[in-house]
Amino acid sequence: MAVVDWVYDGLLALLVLGLAAGALYSLSLYRAVVFYIALGLVLALVWARLGAPDLALAEAAIGAGLTGVLLLSALKHQPNKARLMGWPWLPGLTGIAILLLLIMMVKAVWGLPQGMAAVGQAALLAVPESGVEHPVTAVLLNFRAWDTLLEVLVVLLALLALRQLTLPDETFPDAWPLLLAWSRLLAPLSLLLGIYLLWRGADAPGGAFQSGALIAAGLLMLRLVGLSPALPWSRFGVRLSILIGPTIFLLAAMATASLGAGWLAFPPDWSKALILLIEVAATTSIAISLALLVGSDSRELNQ
Amino acid sequence: MLWLISLLLLTVMASMVRVVVGPTRADRLLAIQLFGTAGTAVLLMMAYLWGQPALIDAALIIALLAAVITSALVQFLRREHHD
Repeated sequence: MAVVDWVYDGLLALLVLGLAAGALYSLSLYRAVVFYIALGLVLALVWARLGAPDLALAEAAIGAGLTGVLLLSALKHQPNKARLMGWPWLPGLTGIAILLLLIMMVKAVWGLPQGMAAVGQAALLAVPESGVEHPVTAVLLNFRAWDTLLEVLVVLLALLALRQLTLPDETFPDAWPLLLAWSRLLAPLSLLLGIYLLWRGADAPGGAFQSGALIAAGLLMLRLVGLSPALPWSRFGVRLSILIGPTIFLLAAMATASLGAGWLAFPPDWSKALILLIEVAATTSIAISLALLVGSDSRELNQ
Repeated sequence: MLWLISLLLLTVMASMVRVVVGPTRADRLLAIQLFGTAGTAVLLMMAYLWGQPALIDAALIIALLAAVITSALVQFLRREHHD
């Protein structure tokens, strides 16, 4: 490796460590949140450096973007002089747990064979039968669709859990004219980019989660500046769009289990259409759920 | 090319100082903006360097979401006397 590789990798590693330390040890919560957002961004760069553009894309959309907005909304509801609670025994305990985890991970990674494992090769060979051209999408929505189904359910569970809490009303100040004009431009752009990512998922990095996060960001943008009201939970359409992803996914699973080869084993002729249907439905659900997670409609909760 | 990327990473490091020192929230906000801009540039250069067009999409996302985060910060944490 040339010197420049070392400089470049070293700088990335230093940045990640520095930002993580900043996020953990900042005394003010605001500063910690700023560090955390920056950490998500640099992690996207690290994934790109490691040759994993799919993960870079997901980290950019979810880690750097939407999580930041979520943290900022949480920060707003903190009391003015919020301080981090400290338990004296906590750091030591966490340290021991991390050390054990590290030992286990090193032992696990050490035993792995170098190069591509047999299962990876088998997956790559089976990609043409999966209905999509991009290997990662083929794995996520065909070979290991079970995992993705559970991930979609996790988003649903998070939203249901949030609705059990009594949250203060989310109100925003009147937006400045510049911000209003800016959001009129940004919201359609994020919608467009979201749909583009969904479509591109078939033969290149992209997919339901990234696309949903982008669309949710567009919806939130309109909500933040007061151009759109909170998505009303009382509307049947809103609840339907939250449930449509898991529903279609589960229906596909049950249909393949009872009529076809087995649970989520798509028949090759149908797989393209099935995957597209599931992706569109999942994107709708993820977008609406994420938008509700941040800009939640609390009026009805408090009634 | 890698030297140029390293240079961009150095500007990101410089903005880290601004996050720590502050002193106002606006300074830290601008530091995030610099993170977003530099990150977009780094991703674009990586896309060109390694012939990975998917990284251009990631750069596009970061450029867009950095703007969303700025707006969210302003709307969530604006102090009354700034109105």
